[in-house]
Amino acid sequence: MNHTHQGTSVFARSAALASSIFGILAVAGAALTAPATAASAADEVVIGAPLPLNGPLAGFGSFDQWGYQHAVDEVNKAGGVTIDGKKRMVKLIIRDDKTDPNVSASNVETLISRDHVTALLGSCTPMLVNAGALVAERHKVPMVTGCDPLGAFTSVRKWNWVWDIFFDERELASLAFKTMKDLGIKTDNKMAIMADNGPDGLIVGGKVWPMLAKENGYEVVANGSFPVDNTQFTSIVAQAKNAGADVVMSDFVTPPAVALRKQMKEGGYSPKLMVIEKGAEPVQFAEALGPLAEGILVGGYWDPSFPYPGAADLEKQFEKDTGKSGSQHIADSYAAAKVLLDAIEAAGSTDPAKINAAIAKTDKTYVVGPVKFSPEHTSKLELVEDQWQNGKSVVVWPANRATGKFEFPIPN
Amino acid sequence: MSGAVLVSNLISGVLLGGDLALTALGLSLVLGVMRVVNLAHGEFLIGGAYLGMFMLQLFGIDPLVGLLLIGLILAVLAYPIQKFLLSPLIEKGVEAPMMTAFGLSVILQNVYTILFSGDTRSIERSYATEPLVIGSVTVAQIYVIGFAISVVIIVLVHLLVSRTGFGRDLRAAATDPTAAGIMGVDVKRVYALTFALGAACAGVGGTLIGLAFSFTPTSGSGYLLTNFAIMVLGGLGNIFGTLIGGMLLGFLQSLGGVTLGDGYRELVGLVIFLGVLAVKPQGLLSRGRI
Amino acid sequence: MNTWRPTILWMAAALVVIVLVPLSTGEYGIEIGFRLLLYIVLGEAWNLMAGYGGLVSLGTASSVGIGAYVLVGMLNHISPSLPLALTASAVAAAILAAIVSPAVFRLRGLYFTVGTLALGEALRLFMINFNYFGGATGLFLRDDPPSPTGLYIYAAVVFALATIVISIYTRSRLSIALRAVRDDEAAAAQIGVRAFRVKLAAFTVASALMAVAGALQGLHLGTIEPYGTFGLQWSIDAVTIVVVGGMGQRAGAIVGAIVVVALAELLADYPELHVAINGLILIIVIRFAPAGLTGLAKRWWQYRKAAATPFAPAAGNAS
Repeated sequence: MNHTHQGTSVFARSAALASSIFGILAVAGAALTAPATAASAADEVVIGAPLPLNGPLAGFGSFDQWGYQHAVDEVNKAGGVTIDGKKRMVKLIIRDDKTDPNVSASNVETLISRDHVTALLGSCTPMLVNAGALVAERHKVPMVTGCDPLGAFTSVRKWNWVWDIFFDERELASLAFKTMKDLGIKTDNKMAIMADNGPDGLIVGGKVWPMLAKENGYEVVANGSFPVDNTQFTSIVAQAKNAGADVVMSDFVTPPAVALRKQMKEGGYSPKLMVIEKGAEPVQFAEALGPLAEGILVGGYWDPSFPYPGAADLEKQFEKDTGKSGSQHIADSYAAAKVLLDAIEAAGSTDPAKINAAIAKTDKTYVVGPVKFSPEHTSKLELVEDQWQNGKSVVVWPANRATGKFEFPIPN
Repeated sequence: MSGAVLVSNLISGVLLGGDLALTALGLSLVLGVMRVVNLAHGEFLIGGAYLGMFMLQLFGIDPLVGLLLIGLILAVLAYPIQKFLLSPLIEKGVEAPMMTAFGLSVILQNVYTILFSGDTRSIERSYATEPLVIGSVTVAQIYVIGFAISVVIIVLVHLLVSRTGFGRDLRAAATDPTAAGIMGVDVKRVYALTFALGAACAGVGGTLIGLAFSFTPTSGSGYLLTNFAIMVLGGLGNIFGTLIGGMLLGFLQSLGGVTLGDGYRELVGLVIFLGVLAVKPQGLLSRGRI
Repeated sequence: MNTWRPTILWMAAALVVIVLVPLSTGEYGIEIGFRLLLYIVLGEAWNLMAGYGGLVSLGTASSVGIGAYVLVGMLNHISPSLPLALTASAVAAAILAAIVSPAVFRLRGLYFTVGTLALGEALRLFMINFNYFGGATGLFLRDDPPSPTGLYIYAAVVFALATIVISIYTRSRLSIALRAVRDDEAAAAQIGVRAFRVKLAAFTVASALMAVAGALQGLHLGTIEPYGTFGLQWSIDAVTIVVVGGMGQRAGAIVGAIVVVALAELLADYPELHVAINGLILIIVIRFAPAGLTGLAKRWWQYRKAAATPFAPAAGNAS
């Protein structure tokens, strides 16, 4: 490693450098502004969405992408949306946020300032949705999103331009207790609680579950809080096993959910009932675990069996398009896009304020159920208890939604 | 907490740490011999896990049976990476090969996501989820299996480095590449083979991780840091030190998990890592023979 | 040509262009310009440590994160004054750098790199687990941040300050000492250079600048949480900017930041493969422009001049 110190001649040469910087600036400037003119020239209504298509949340992003695109395709097939009495096609621009909130925010900025989007759809999970939503709010561009539990959404700020269609995490937390009570499940009333320390996990595992456990006469013998990407649970599993807890309540994303279930088996711990909120929902959970998924409970906000217009067809269409099993995430993303497109149609204009006012007036039953926004800009989805049975997700509670019988205890 | 729970936990930690020492050995060899911070090591590891899973799903080959094949495939894939990408950069300082490896790691993550989707995967074998109960102590059977495999491979690598002609070349190249070159050692070939060996260790370790836990296209980066910690604890390039470093880290992480909660495992590991770096940068165990 | 004046004029002109061009290109130009300025500051700071001091850090994220958290804490709880909050961010990161320096400076070469990486990750894990600073949920800025133009002007001021600080630094005797330490620490010590102090100066100045960049990003987002703010991506981006632009080259950070921002921005329109393409371009640039794009431009310039002179030495081997 030798270093040549060229003294003042370096400075003489930097004149040349400066001119090359000008060159690069000019080229970069031209390249960056080019797509802007292309996008705005067309006679299309442009809507944009940042989505996690790479990184740890890529699993969610692919479902949302399909849901958004499917809604836009449907509208375009029917002739587009009516703006000022004229039919116009809708163009959806999706930018990958790589599961990074910084990128999610800058993607929304680009969609607004370069592509001049009329309106926006949200990313997925509070971390990513909130980052983009704050940009939309500041630029006064309407955004409809799913995938952001209502408590996490409303805790950010008082929203004027962003609307959220999802479930309430406090309600999700009480779901399993209601199910157990309603179905008269008998256990030793000992409970282990494990949750990640994400925005919803902290509320559910740290506050709501311990409180509900007390109210319902359960003794909490172990309670652990974990970083979202943690996959090591040996200590708490041993502790829960040692205390002989019949009930495990947990709240994790899919990778730790799979790891936890395996480690319980590895540790020789077999509780009678186990709930894994969030992570046990997608079919990849059951595929990764095989027989170990049997009997696991998870709260769901959608199932193709729901008696709402297009529910069964949506799942079928997804399977036809992708060759994979669907997820409830295709429904809330599809519904969010539909709500937005209906609002644009109702406004009959690309004026953001008019579209925002039309979103506020939404009162219609969509594929996820009735959507009507509260003053906090939220529309709550009803929840059901799902259970994995033979690799299939079965709705076991409440009775009027059930597609199968509750299986108890978990087979060992 | 009862004594049995504590003992089970600590033994699990030691076994798992020994298991991870295998992947750390790959990192340590590449760093010790070539002075390359292989930021793509985690992706090699995940590559091994995917290979193990697909071999089982497509050809019905049990991952433990196919373990050597997995190592071989990774070595074959890694060889050209070193030869064409890293080799020309090695004399140009730390950053160029490190950032090339980083470029490789993002490409691999992207390719995994496109080919295999972002879904969470796991290699499903019944023996991987059975407990092993000895008296009142319970540990995961797969930890014991992984530990045994890891120890065997680490001993084999040690023999390779200490008893063979290639090992002599490797040690010479690690100590002083210029002098080794003058003495007639084909340093570039040694580097390429070392890199391939490192990738093979990562792949085999990755398959074992896939059996015991879960993985996604991006879960490699988490293991990379643990591997760095093990490597530093054991002393750079110290083969048996890596094994002991892994067991020690596993023990301390479990102790942290038991006392502070499982959530603090990783943090405990990193703090120990930083502490050791600050106090004894060359590792707790003295520098090995590489 | 061998006087300073044309250089200073050129540099000043370049600065004016970098600051003014985005302002005249509307909202989009301002958004891109803000990102660009932020990245240039990060790159400049990293270049100061690595390019001139041989301190190859993968711990940029720790300074960025601290800057963002201190800014939000200051604005929400102590004072609504932005300059005060930005100063506090810089001071906090400089103090942290000073605290950890005795430990990390014991680490030579690769150990320093790995140690700073672990430091950043340890801070991230701590912030995730420790609920006092909002835990994994993070913190929200209570009041709306300034308008994009206002933010841009702040970034431009920070950028100008960083340029001035680093220009002074790289022309000072401290810089010569820093280079001496980079090239051979033992030899430098023998001629009376206090390696520790010289490195500490570079490390604290760089950390403070990175923290201000992080603070601006936190202000810009309005919401911060550990995964994004202490994310490894910041550390990687800083290295990428300088490696692509040219290590130890005065214009390296600017050129690198332009390339990195432009690439990320353009490729995000092709979501399927953009991450891989980004990686590929990084690998190609490193492979074929070992002294970065600035080095490549210099070589090209010399090649043209070589027609007049019989022999031109290869430039840009400043690794």
